[in-house]
Amino acid sequence: MSVSNASHATPAPARSEQILSAERVDFSVDAPGGRLTILNNISLSLNSGQTLAIVGASGSGKTTLLGLLAGLETPTNGHIELAGTQLNELSEDQRAALRRARVGFVFQSFHLLPSMTALENVMLALEIAQLDQVRERALSALEQVGLSHRLEHYPRQLSGGEQQRVAIARAFASNPDILFADEPTGNLDRSNGNAIADLLFALNEQHGTALVLVTHDMKLAERCQRIAIMDDGRLSEQPPE
Amino acid sequence: MNSLNLSSRLLLRQSRSGSLWMLIAGLVVATAAISAVTLFTDRIGRALEQQAGETLAADLVLAGRTPIAQDIEQLADQNQLSSSRMIMLSTVLFSDQDSSLFDVKGVSPGYPLRGRLLTAAQANAEDRATDQIPAPGTAWIEPRGLRILDIEVGDLVYMGEHELVIDRVLTYEPDRGGGPFMLSPRLLVNYSDVETSGLLGPGTRVNYRLLVAGAETAVQAFGNRVEPLLQDRQRLVTATEADNQTGAALEQARRFLAVAALTAVILAAVAVLLSAVRFTRSQRDLIAVLKAFGASSGEIMRALMLLLLWLVLLAVTGGLVLGWIGQQAITEILSAQMTLPLPFPRWTVMLGCAAFTLLLAAGFALPPLIGLRKVPPMRILNRSLDQRPSLGRIGWLVPIAAALAIPVLQLSDLQLALLMLGGSALLALALAIAAWLAMRITRVLARRSRGAWRFGLAGLSRRQGASVLQITALGLGLMSLLLLMIVRAELITQWQASLPENTPDHFVVNLQPDQAEPFEAALIDMGAESLQVRPMANANLVSISGERPDRDRFTGQVNLSWIDQLPPANEVIDGEFWSPGATGQISLSERWAERVGVEVGDTMTFDAGGQTFNATVTSIRRVDWNSFNVNFFILVTPEAAALLPHQFIASFYRPESAAEALDELARGYPNASVLDVGALIQRVFDIISQVSRAAQVVFAFTLVAGLIVLLAALEATRDQRRTESALIRTLGAGNATVRTGLLIEYSIMALIAASLATAGAAIIGWLMARELFQFSYQPSPMLFITGFLVSFLLVVGAGWLGNRSVLKTPPERILRAG
Repeated sequence: MSVSNASHATPAPARSEQILSAERVDFSVDAPGGRLTILNNISLSLNSGQTLAIVGASGSGKTTLLGLLAGLETPTNGHIELAGTQLNELSEDQRAALRRARVGFVFQSFHLLPSMTALENVMLALEIAQLDQVRERALSALEQVGLSHRLEHYPRQLSGGEQQRVAIARAFASNPDILFADEPTGNLDRSNGNAIADLLFALNEQHGTALVLVTHDMKLAERCQRIAIMDDGRLSEQPPE
Repeated sequence: MNSLNLSSRLLLRQSRSGSLWMLIAGLVVATAAISAVTLFTDRIGRALEQQAGETLAADLVLAGRTPIAQDIEQLADQNQLSSSRMIMLSTVLFSDQDSSLFDVKGVSPGYPLRGRLLTAAQANAEDRATDQIPAPGTAWIEPRGLRILDIEVGDLVYMGEHELVIDRVLTYEPDRGGGPFMLSPRLLVNYSDVETSGLLGPGTRVNYRLLVAGAETAVQAFGNRVEPLLQDRQRLVTATEADNQTGAALEQARRFLAVAALTAVILAAVAVLLSAVRFTRSQRDLIAVLKAFGASSGEIMRALMLLLLWLVLLAVTGGLVLGWIGQQAITEILSAQMTLPLPFPRWTVMLGCAAFTLLLAAGFALPPLIGLRKVPPMRILNRSLDQRPSLGRIGWLVPIAAALAIPVLQLSDLQLALLMLGGSALLALALAIAAWLAMRITRVLARRSRGAWRFGLAGLSRRQGASVLQITALGLGLMSLLLLMIVRAELITQWQASLPENTPDHFVVNLQPDQAEPFEAALIDMGAESLQVRPMANANLVSISGERPDRDRFTGQVNLSWIDQLPPANEVIDGEFWSPGATGQISLSERWAERVGVEVGDTMTFDAGGQTFNATVTSIRRVDWNSFNVNFFILVTPEAAALLPHQFIASFYRPESAAEALDELARGYPNASVLDVGALIQRVFDIISQVSRAAQVVFAFTLVAGLIVLLAALEATRDQRRTESALIRTLGAGNATVRTGLLIEYSIMALIAASLATAGAAIIGWLMARELFQFSYQPSPMLFITGFLVSFLLVVGAGWLGNRSVLKTPPERILRAG
């Protein structure tokens, strides 16, 4: 399915249960000058199918918060619950198991494996998620992002926009409950960035996936249902207009 | 996903990644080098052992004072071994003119089973190899035997009840044995003639021997079967027991080959480590992505171990094939020069090589790979949250030690291995410290410099850890190349020179005291070189510090000599050698003193012909028995001459032109025996030259391993260097700045690595010569000048060539590729 088709897809049924919550989360690291606090007393929650943008200046801690919410790291203090599971109580491997079942990622620098083709990159994520019909699902996901003709291309043979489409196909192929996107248009020019944003929101709506989007681009953030502002490690949510 | 699936996918998918190929190449080269070297050295070693069998004329000898039972000979037949019987005895032979004591050897067809006899039609005629033995009724005689009995070829000798026609002159028998001091000349006859000579009566000292030879396993099986059947005063003698000049030369030869193998091991290990570190560095993003997508640490670890196992399997297969081809090629190249047929390669050696590769991978490649499991998934969002890759804990020393133990066991030379491994470890440490210090200095200099200098110096100090590793690896690689290319050649040349051209090749024994001076004068007149004339007394060792010594083949009747200064080829290792005029002192050879348990300060009493000589041990000497000089276990102060009955013994080199003059002289001294050991010395020279040729080919493999280490070391930081170069080119720096910066960086690395490698090669060469080959090696100025320059240019040149693409590729492409 192409991008334009995607926007006409039937929306997934709305889900109202909570998919993500954070309660009084702190995160600090040891630095040469002493202990450095990156996140300070952060609380938030997100329901299934909801979209949340986290905006803020560079170094404000928004990407770190994304990593904590996705279970890539554990907070120094506070609790995070993802898909009904307290992340603090899980080991790294248990968090990995939770991610492969429920979570998708899109990164600023795409993070495609350079030695694998577009199709192989998508297949690998599905294999890790231990799903069946890996090839069929990967083909379908790439078709949805309009890259059926680029299946056997390596990342270096693809443009930045195309690489991010592969990354989006990879993220949605396993049908996650929640997608974490870190500056998904940050490495792209305006026109490519817009196209990727359209694709991301279209697929999000189609799959009924919750989305946590980190960006410093207010225009992109405004496409989300909610916007939270990160400033020097503190989070404040903008009231809906 | 299951780990097997993930590992095979990683392997297949990553097969397009250069870094994985580098790791595979490291393992393949390691396996190929090790298998080629160990297979070949094992074959050469076994062949040389068989050649050492020449000193027995067989692979195994059953020797005894009683006749050997027929069923034992049949046992040899059953084991498909060739066999031959021999009888040896000392008896007086008569000619029509004279009589003398001879060592008679009766041999049966097939003798010698190893090596060949050389005979000549006449005395002084050219000798030729023969596969025959004397026919019944005929005898072959040693040249001096002709002189002693005053006969010629065709004359008769009388042995017991037989008359034997002298048919040929015997110039060389492989199992001559007895060293240069075998007093009686040899008469070689047919076995049946000895049996029927009437000489084998009771009371005759006869040595019966059964010689066997054949496939190694069959010889072993035969030995095992015969061992329990041995009677009193019968024993099995193996080729390795051959304790003589040839044996010593072979031992040194084997050590040369072992040096090649161990150098290859060290280099291979360094190559594998460098490649693994580079591979893992390039995999950190992949691991972070896998973890972010939900792969567990356990799955990743299992996948990585399986991945390594695949690599090992590939490397073992490819490496063994290459190694096999390599050793076969060496054999082909050498076949024209090798007189000895090589036995077939052994599967056990190949299995050992496979185990070696597995342990090498476990010890050197697994630690960095396993370190990947600690990559935090957050790396995918923020690289600064990733930890520095480390090489892990001390526990990894176990597989490393095991990997290095395999070649050590295969080469069974602990001293050599410790020297090589210890030397390399020390050099690695010295290199690492020097590199670290240099990094500190360059950091200071970088701040004060500008342009290309700043770029080059800053590049070095910024990658401090990588630069230290790189310089260490470069130094080790260079050192091995220098050891192989310069030190090896110098060692071989100097080793050969340690047996100079005019090494004594003739001995004269049994000269009476009044004959010594005129005989010496005559020898000088005929141009004899390296002449030594020394007194020798045969005495009973009566007591050591008042106690009777234990019965031992070293005690009882002993030969001793006196001298007023330390003789050549002797070095005092304990106590002090006496000054001229001293009395009542004894100097012992290290070997004899250790064996008998005598130390400096002990007193010893000797008795000869009713005269007693009593003295105190004041020094222990290390004697170079390979020098072919006249040497004695026991030296005493010269006043012994007045007390002990004695004779004189002389050693000298006889120029070719003096052959007839020497015969003439010998006829004038019928009581003295002249022994020609020229053939034996020639044999030692032949072995040295043959093995040095073999070693050159073996070293070529090590050379390739050394070059791979150099390339791996230079490649280690290439990716980072490419990115940095692209960056400063983007910022507007010209190619000249980048080029000069790279040159400066490589030159500094080369300077440190080449200096230390040159010094290291000289020190290791000197240690090897001193500890293993027992001669004093003098590193030449050539090593220091050429070696340093070549090393320097090699590193700068290779680094330069490897980075040409940095300048050719548009910076945008490099930066985009990350």
